[in-house]
Amino acid sequence: VAEHPLAGYLVWAVLFGALFAWEGLALAKAGSLPTLSDTFRVIMRYPVGRWALFALWLWAGWHFFIRGWHFLLRA
Amino acid sequence: VLTSALIRQDLVPMLAGYLIIMTTLGLGLLRLRRPGSRGREARGRPDRPDGDSGSRRGWLLLARHAITTAAGGYLLLMAVVIAYYYGVARVGGAFLKSAFTGTALLIGLALPLFAGASWLAERRREKRETPAADPRPRRR
Repeated sequence: VAEHPLAGYLVWAVLFGALFAWEGLALAKAGSLPTLSDTFRVIMRYPVGRWALFALWLWAGWHFFIRGWHFLLRA
Repeated sequence: VLTSALIRQDLVPMLAGYLIIMTTLGLGLLRLRRPGSRGREARGRPDRPDGDSGSRRGWLLLARHAITTAAGGYLLLMAVVIAYYYGVARVGGAFLKSAFTGTALLIGLALPLFAGASWLAERRREKRETPAADPRPRRR
């Protein structure tokens, strides 16, 4: 992917686009689709869910601010 | 072209992580769809500091909640990182040391910021809910 960074950027753009599209649809059709907040609230009700989310947050922060975000596009 | 090392070191862990996250989200959504699940949302959360008597207890609960979440998340991530390092790929560049110290640094920065932001938010909420009594006499 590093030789073709555009493809890496496109994949991440599509993933985040899908995420925002889901959230937009869920907010527009209130009640029929669960929003991301609803989902995370259910996960965070349990200690293991909170630990997993915090670990994910730490992992993202470690790569973005310490190891370098190019890790996400490496080959 | 995807090399075998790339598949083993990146694609497989990413797919495994993706499947774990999607399964967790799916289970969360299933629980959300159950009747009466929205009414139990506040369960397991620390109480908001409420009044002078409950304030101290509320802050202690919040601190305990934040510290146990941070410690649990840190230990979970370290377990995954160690399993990845010894089971999948011996990544160079002081990978394990960076994982232990880098994430600890992030927690050390984030927790005081979170505590400060919580204190400020609570102060603003208290100010909004209790009208301020101005001791100065009004000018006419």
